[in-house]
Amino acid sequence: MNRCVPIAALCLPFIASIASAQGPPAANTGILKDFETRISAYMKLHRAAEADVAALRKTASAKEIASRQAELAESVRAHRPAKQGDIFTPEVAGEFRRLVAMTMKGPNAARVKKSLKSAEPVELSLKVNDTYPERAPLQSTPPTLLMNLPKLPPELEYRVVSRALILLDVKAGILVDFVPDLIK
Amino acid sequence: MRRRSLLSILLSIFLIGECAGMLALLSISAAGQQVSKVVAFPLKAKSVRFAAFGDNGTGGQEQYDVAQQMVRQRVMFPFDFVLMLGDNIYGSDTAADFRRKFEDPYKPMLDAGVKFYASLGNHDNPNQRLYKPFNMDGKRYYSFRKENVEFFALDSTYMDPVQLAWVEKQLSASTAEWKICYFHHPLYSDGKFHGPDRDLRARLEPILTKAGVSVVLSGHEHFYERLKPQQGIYHFIIGNGGQLRYRDLKPSQDIAKGFDTDRGFALFEVAGDELYFQALSRTGEIMDSGMIQRAAAPKAP
Repeated sequence: MNRCVPIAALCLPFIASIASAQGPPAANTGILKDFETRISAYMKLHRAAEADVAALRKTASAKEIASRQAELAESVRAHRPAKQGDIFTPEVAGEFRRLVAMTMKGPNAARVKKSLKSAEPVELSLKVNDTYPERAPLQSTPPTLLMNLPKLPPELEYRVVSRALILLDVKAGILVDFVPDLIK
Repeated sequence: MRRRSLLSILLSIFLIGECAGMLALLSISAAGQQVSKVVAFPLKAKSVRFAAFGDNGTGGQEQYDVAQQMVRQRVMFPFDFVLMLGDNIYGSDTAADFRRKFEDPYKPMLDAGVKFYASLGNHDNPNQRLYKPFNMDGKRYYSFRKENVEFFALDSTYMDPVQLAWVEKQLSASTAEWKICYFHHPLYSDGKFHGPDRDLRARLEPILTKAGVSVVLSGHEHFYERLKPQQGIYHFIIGNGGQLRYRDLKPSQDIAKGFDTDRGFALFEVAGDELYFQALSRTGEIMDSGMIQRAAAPKAP
């Protein structure tokens, strides 16, 4: 577990450069800084959870991939008794609502909405730390929307579920946090 | 469209000479009527031969039928690898699912050394990138080269700025004569159910056209469609490798050829500056065929 600390520390400059490299020009940098700090803390925890289980690796065994993903998900849950809003605090969620609204009402709004419609929308009941249901498709996230949101480390992705924006831990396959009723 | 029966093959008459740079095969039915003109594969030495399909991983009988037809076709057209256009494993993805939806149906090809190069669809667990038989090298998006062709497998379910930058960089650095991109969501489509992903098109297409991409293959729509060239790029949708959305194509001036009444796959051969293709149904009917001539590379100023 200790060896993860330096790895997490190495990630910090990457996370810290996120908003400046890609964030929308009118973003509230103070709130986004708080978001980045929370993402960094999650990644530190994710690395610690990873260190406690057998690593996901390239293999010809589908069984191994499934079992190790499940073990990682359990390990993350054990490290993180989380609730909705831990990362998307009311302030952060408010800033995301503003950023998403800019996309959904801007000059590209029509095509972003059509893109969401063509992407096989899904309806799910959302709960932090739950595994994303394997039978539910992963709705694609419009590139223009992604361009207007703070960059994430490769282990995390923004995904759309109905009208919610979720934060997905891709390796563990679990829901890290979400903002309901964001996409309008 | 015609049934590729032994009789019709035997009765086929090769036209002598080349027609607009392609070898034309005039097929005569048993009744003596001309039913279609099929562009045959030249099967040239060192050509790049591959198959492609998407939306295949259902585990249903139709997927197995497609797989068996591919094995039959491979006797006549020995392709070396298969591009998977996403939705590789529908539903749950336990070891049993991988067996039923991938390993078993394609076993004869896997045993024969045919390699499968997967891209991710919206029904795929992103950790499929770790599954070695998908040859993704642990990556959501990647490229590989065969002779004069470079293939770019993209993740259209999550086209973030990092991937867009990667695509642009890799494409501009590529020295391949042919650049072929494949990913799940089509930039153009005449499907009634989904339609094109317009936002993906707005962000990705300028990069592809600038880099001289010739061909784009995608799935997501559960039918076959070849579109008339869009911005100089030939788009194929081959999303009927296991799924089918019956009669989902709507009339459109952009359709060069469509097939939405059965499952199928497509075969390709790149021979020098020519790319030959055939789209087949699971019963072996040739639904579409043709040849694409590579556009001359832009001259340096």
